[in-house]
Amino acid sequence: MPTQNKDSAPYADVRSIGLPRALMYYRYAPAWKAFFEALGREVVVSRQSDRAMLERGSARSVDECCLASKLYMGHVESLLDACDAVFVPSLANLGRFKSFCTKYQALPDLVRNTFDEESIRLVSCVVEDQQSKTSMRTAFLDLAAQFGATPKEAKAAYKAGRVALERAEKDARESFEKALQGVERARKERRDEDADESLAILVAAHPYVSHDRLIGGPVVDALRDMGVTVLFADEFDRERAYKESGKFSSTMPWLINRELIGAMLCLRERVDGIVAVSAFPCGPDSMTNDAIARRAGNTPLLSLTVDAQSGTAGLETRVESFIDILRYRRKGGYLQ
Amino acid sequence: MTTPESPHKTALERERPNDSLPLRAANFLGDTIDAFDTLTRRYDDGPRADVRAEDSEGVRTRLVAKRAKRKRDRHAKTKVAFLRYSYYDVVFRFFVERVLDAEFVDLGEPTKVTLELGAMHSNDFVCAPFKHILGDYIEALDAGADVLVQFTGPCRLGYYGELQESILRDMGYEFEMLNFAEIAGKPLKEYVAACKKLVNPDLSVAQGVKGMLAAFKMVECLDAYHARYLALAGFDAHPGDSDAAREEFFAAMARCETRRDVEDVYRAGIEKLESIERDKPADALRIGIVGEYFTAADPRSNLDIERKLLAMGVEVSCSMNVTNRNIRYNEPELRREIEEYVAYDMGPTSTLTIASAKRYADEGFDGIVHLKSSGCTPEIDCMPVLQRISRERKIPVLFLSYDSQTSDTGLDTRVEAFYDMIAMRKASR
Repeated sequence: MPTQNKDSAPYADVRSIGLPRALMYYRYAPAWKAFFEALGREVVVSRQSDRAMLERGSARSVDECCLASKLYMGHVESLLDACDAVFVPSLANLGRFKSFCTKYQALPDLVRNTFDEESIRLVSCVVEDQQSKTSMRTAFLDLAAQFGATPKEAKAAYKAGRVALERAEKDARESFEKALQGVERARKERRDEDADESLAILVAAHPYVSHDRLIGGPVVDALRDMGVTVLFADEFDRERAYKESGKFSSTMPWLINRELIGAMLCLRERVDGIVAVSAFPCGPDSMTNDAIARRAGNTPLLSLTVDAQSGTAGLETRVESFIDILRYRRKGGYLQ
Repeated sequence: MTTPESPHKTALERERPNDSLPLRAANFLGDTIDAFDTLTRRYDDGPRADVRAEDSEGVRTRLVAKRAKRKRDRHAKTKVAFLRYSYYDVVFRFFVERVLDAEFVDLGEPTKVTLELGAMHSNDFVCAPFKHILGDYIEALDAGADVLVQFTGPCRLGYYGELQESILRDMGYEFEMLNFAEIAGKPLKEYVAACKKLVNPDLSVAQGVKGMLAAFKMVECLDAYHARYLALAGFDAHPGDSDAAREEFFAAMARCETRRDVEDVYRAGIEKLESIERDKPADALRIGIVGEYFTAADPRSNLDIERKLLAMGVEVSCSMNVTNRNIRYNEPELRREIEEYVAYDMGPTSTLTIASAKRYADEGFDGIVHLKSSGCTPEIDCMPVLQRISRERKIPVLFLSYDSQTSDTGLDTRVEAFYDMIAMRKASR
């Protein structure tokens, strides 16, 4: 049994952990929650994004930072007095051509230096598989030990996290497939009728864009208001998507962009249109959006860049005209 | 002039070599069939107009399509072009000529058109180096390059090569790309194989290794010389002497063939540079430049900020060069130096940027200039750390962000204001 002294278990006294509801939270939330709960810690998640949070975050960020990163700072600030420590991992990569944006890698140091004067306490770990072979598993087992867990407890906590994440991903996959099949069935059944056909629109964006109420929310709302079925590319089978992306690019470094592109390639014949949403100025997207646009083939693609604008009218107009065009096209109104 | 006998002539042509009637008849027949074919397709069963973007091969998936191997011209050396990057064109030339044994495409000085071309064909919020380099490549291909070389790195740079290749191919250029992102992380023999396949099948590995060692030495010598130049050139008694010596040094370096030559040229060059008559005030201002890999080191990317500072009579130091970031780079060691500020690796040049800023502060420099391309994520993430260093170690930092602008009036204003501020600050102490 390892002794629980301060050096080997610097986080032993942390009772409650804050999770900022931003960036990679949208990908790993189930795992992180289950992991910390298995270690007997209380998990505090920041509230849904709102405009005040973005304003606080922007005030704390360098103005050139991407929208999602500014929002992250707002979330961290909202957690300052709500928990003992905030969980901010450094995610570099999960192997070769499975990199994350350098933003997630720099996050702990970025947060620490941004909140320098508040003397914020962070819980952190580094995931870097390509050079130092620190996989997600190694990182979290090590992290559990720093909370004073025995190796057995650490393994159990990691497993709890992994199982929770796998279940959540499986549920997402299944509901994705169900929704898509629903549209396809409806399309077949209503072939001859004059009514608006149901459209399936694939929203291809980083999960923290598409599922965030403030960043991607207005786009998703506008789509749903138009009565289309919204499918999120990040909920598609990730393994299959990643594999498919190999057919598109041999050197694209980013894991999430690969999954998004893979999903687009797998689904481009099955959906009616793709809406790619980026948070301004997203580094990886600045390169991949250009690449996708030139290989989208026949699938109509709407590329939107979202910044901290206060009105959504411009966005709605673009989404509405896109859907109108798709509907008109389906009815044979445009030259095919 | 008689045309040589073609082996593909038909029997009819061989019988009556001067009569082109059969050919004309065949052409006429072909045209007629084509016309009928078009007519039926266009007016009978097809759609009225085709506005689809799909090409004849169907929907394409691969960003850079696979293609047949280029046929090698045995009578000419392959023409290899690099991107323009600061003064390293000397090394690129050496690498192409001595290591790859191929012909180097000299791009000369960049112009406004270079950047315009690059920016026109790039996404607008991609980082500025991408635009500069794409412009270089377009000029290189127009100058007849067969092979383009691109590097890789842990940020967006890792995807530069493939995206640029696809953009250039979509523009209609034919070339090969030696993209190190495809090979990085693999054993040395893969590099050799790629060079053999794309550039020179007769590549000598022994010669290549010897050349590489000399090339590394050359990089170190160029960087060391440049560092000395930045420290001294601001104080020439006859302005321009150091610049002339530097030009001469680069020209001599370009003539080197072996490692020994490189070392000799360096020694002579430094001696010459040091011997120039100078007039340095005791309280000269010292400014340290830190920042992103490309922008901090490449004069056309940073609108030659080094020269602007030197012209004001400043002792300049720039930590960002290939020696410091690649050849002698030691990430754990540097990170230990800055452990009070950061715990992890924050990106490709972040550790070097932060560590050098801290060193400049501790060595009593009067100011730091941070250079980066607009939207460079890792360097943006360094800024809060630099702001903290500035606060805690009491050193002014000027943050400059570059995109594809070509006018430097705004930059002059900011640099002059910064100079005045640190000069007054120094005088008041």
